[in-house]
Amino acid sequence: MQSAVAGAASDDSDVVELLRAHGRERAFALLLPRYERKVFRLCCALLRDPTQAQDAAQESLVRIWKALPSYDGRASLSSWIYTIARNRCLTAIERRRAHAALSDSEFDMTSQAAEVALEPEFGSDSEQRAAQLRELIDLLPERARRTLVLFYFEQRSISDVAQQLACPEGTVKTHLFRARAALAALLKQRGLDDPSLWLEVSP
Amino acid sequence: MNSDQTLPGDTARGLALDAALDAALDAALTRVLPPPELPPQFRTQLAAAIAREAALELTLRSARPRLEREQREQLAELHADYMRLRRRTLGTLIGGAFAAGAAVAVSLPWLKATFGPDAMLVLAGLGAVAGLAIGTASWVRRLGVPRLLQRL
Repeated sequence: MQSAVAGAASDDSDVVELLRAHGRERAFALLLPRYERKVFRLCCALLRDPTQAQDAAQESLVRIWKALPSYDGRASLSSWIYTIARNRCLTAIERRRAHAALSDSEFDMTSQAAEVALEPEFGSDSEQRAAQLRELIDLLPERARRTLVLFYFEQRSISDVAQQLACPEGTVKTHLFRARAALAALLKQRGLDDPSLWLEVSP
Repeated sequence: MNSDQTLPGDTARGLALDAALDAALDAALTRVLPPPELPPQFRTQLAAAIAREAALELTLRSARPRLEREQREQLAELHADYMRLRRRTLGTLIGGAFAAGAAVAVSLPWLKATFGPDAMLVLAGLGAVAGLAIGTASWVRRLGVPRLLQRL
């Protein structure tokens, strides 16, 4: 099922044909199951917050529905869809930044609370390790972090990540390597670089 | 790691990773970063949002002919006003010219009797004074001098 969906997503000519022959509704119905998860994952990777990601994914899909009749086929359908989703996420990030600037004190308290929440006090060792790893991922430079997160969200498909982030596959590989190298360095700094510690991690 | 993940040239850049740690980290990241699942109500909410947009689109589409008609009517009205203004200006000019001609015809014998050979000069002078007075009055009004004087 998954491979069928992925295969279909790589060639959207049927969606484009349906759009020309029967209009928006049927084309969108065909497009939605192929892209809704990918758009949601992209929004999750860019925005970090699942609730905001859900809103952004939904708004992106509504925009895609609205703009579908004007899709001219110059870019591939997938690139067009991801561009809309990325732009929507960038707008959300800008809004969040503006909101944070307006209420700095409130934001500081929230981020402090988030930091405290990341300190693993309860749970098994394995759960604590998972929480530590998530914390370290959040410390990575933004590009490396989003590439790494999307890479694992997309079941390690470099080409999918490259398409979603609109960058060459070589760039994705570079960011992935740097992210993992930075993670390894952070683990060494904290004396957590024993591989056996990470083999049993569970979310 | 799959073949997608090979990173050519990394060791050359002096950033080689500890293979065992990298493999363990890769396994840990796979477990820590599972693909997020769509919330169960996602489709329902999306369908509702699209239905709202569709209704809005329909309203706008049905309102468009009316708005276009209103715009056409406003444009036609503006054009008619402009034409009326031009006609009125032209009428004023023609009326003014006839009135001036009539005044000259009536007053010329008296002017000749009174001023003799200088009658035409006097007539031209009167015309120039009248023109200057009308022009000045118009500019005084346009520049808002009466309002300025009122404020003072």
